Amino acid sequence: MQALLSFENAPPFTAPLRFFITAPLLAALAGLLLLWEGGDLLLSRWHPGALALTHLLTVGFMLMVMLGALIQILPVVAGASLRSPLLLARLLHPLLTFGVLALAGGFASGEQQLLQVATLLLLSGGLLFLASAGRALWSAPSTSPTVAGLKIALLALSVSLLLGGALALALAHGWAWPLPELTNLHAGWALGAWSTVLLAAVAYVVVPMFQLTPAYQARSGWYFAPAMSAALLLWSAGEIFALPPLVLLGKQCAAGLGLAFVAQTMYLQTKRRRARPDAIYRFWQSGLGCGLFALLLVLTVNALPDAFSWPGWPVLIGILLLPGTFVALITGMLYKIVPFLGWMHLQSAGRGKLTAPSMGKLLPEEENLRQWRLYLFAMASLILAVFFPAWLARPAGALFAIAMGMLAWNLFRALRRYREHLRRIAEHFSEAV
Amino acid sequence: MSMTHPKTPHVVDARYMEPPEPFVQTMEMLDTLKVGEKMLLLLFREPHPLYKALRQNGHAYETELLPDGTFEILITR
Repeated sequence: MQALLSFENAPPFTAPLRFFITAPLLAALAGLLLLWEGGDLLLSRWHPGALALTHLLTVGFMLMVMLGALIQILPVVAGASLRSPLLLARLLHPLLTFGVLALAGGFASGEQQLLQVATLLLLSGGLLFLASAGRALWSAPSTSPTVAGLKIALLALSVSLLLGGALALALAHGWAWPLPELTNLHAGWALGAWSTVLLAAVAYVVVPMFQLTPAYQARSGWYFAPAMSAALLLWSAGEIFALPPLVLLGKQCAAGLGLAFVAQTMYLQTKRRRARPDAIYRFWQSGLGCGLFALLLVLTVNALPDAFSWPGWPVLIGILLLPGTFVALITGMLYKIVPFLGWMHLQSAGRGKLTAPSMGKLLPEEENLRQWRLYLFAMASLILAVFFPAWLARPAGALFAIAMGMLAWNLFRALRRYREHLRRIAEHFSEAV
Repeated sequence: MSMTHPKTPHVVDARYMEPPEPFVQTMEMLDTLKVGEKMLLLLFREPHPLYKALRQNGHAYETELLPDGTFEILITR
């Protein structure tokens, strides 16, 4: 029984944990950058510091957690086993960490060589992950919307990485490319077809499992990923053939699909069977709320560009979508996945003779909720800072850095408690011998 | 949670259970069945770790995804 609970090919607890603890530290760095640079950073999405901040959040936090988590959960959610998950984690983690630091540094300083190094590191890491995960996933049959969605998400990740790499090189070498259009496409593929499709594919499993809600309808699950990638293909074709109406159609369809997913998840949350609001519920509640506003704003700004020409709107959308939605939804999942993995490994180490401590002991809910309240305060300041950048950008950056630092601290303490229990188990068995 | 179903009287409805309850209850019910008897597990996800355990123990299973998102897993002891 105990042996069956431990997945034979599952990497040790520290394999995904290194990604999970590094990610909030890089997000905290984004907060510190805002504290350092101040309100100028929020005046336009094209500000070099804003590009650095964006990538500390998207690559440093989101991609870091997503890839670390996939190494761990592919066998569980898709039945796809990676060949050497620990080796992959050991190689990928430094490539991503140094890659995003070089990228943020390159954006902020305009240093050509840093951008080139970043491109090399991040593309190598991406390729390494895509090759291992792709091989594992393509040998797994698409028996559920989750598996089908994961496959499409990986394809979208490769498009996002290629576009991102090309953009970084174009910027480094001053190539005369249509940078704004390519940047929008890169963001569309990365946030729509990769992040949202991946999030949905994982949500089909973890929302009912961890929040005790009903399931997502099977049909919407099967259609979501193909529809989102079709929207991105329309948008891309529109850019390639210089057809603005097609670009607009693609963008609006992608935002509309995101909105449908958000609304569906909000509806499921109202049907949940757990009365007590825990951290995952709170983070998902605030995250879905931000997502709803962000996507409604995207639809409106796209439809009425003349009425919404203020450069603060895209910045507000970015803040609502990145720290507001994705960081929140991912943090909520971390607060369930980390204690669950820790519990599973301890249970297996105890070989049925020693029971593992409950998940709540590894990562106490009160601490998680305290961090959520601080995060929410930081989010409110960030949103207000778009309207009053001179006054609020620095305090908002500081608050966000503290909230993310606290997340890293909470996860680090879970790792420490896990190690203490592991030591106790080892002592027990050495005494028994 | 025990109930009956057109496919078999032996049912574990694990749709609102947290892990590892569905796994534990399924393995426990399988132990009570005779060889060749079938049981049904209802779940809102595909239980890949359970599939692996079933294959290792030589149990056959068939999975059907219903429109409401329920996976029906029919397992033969």
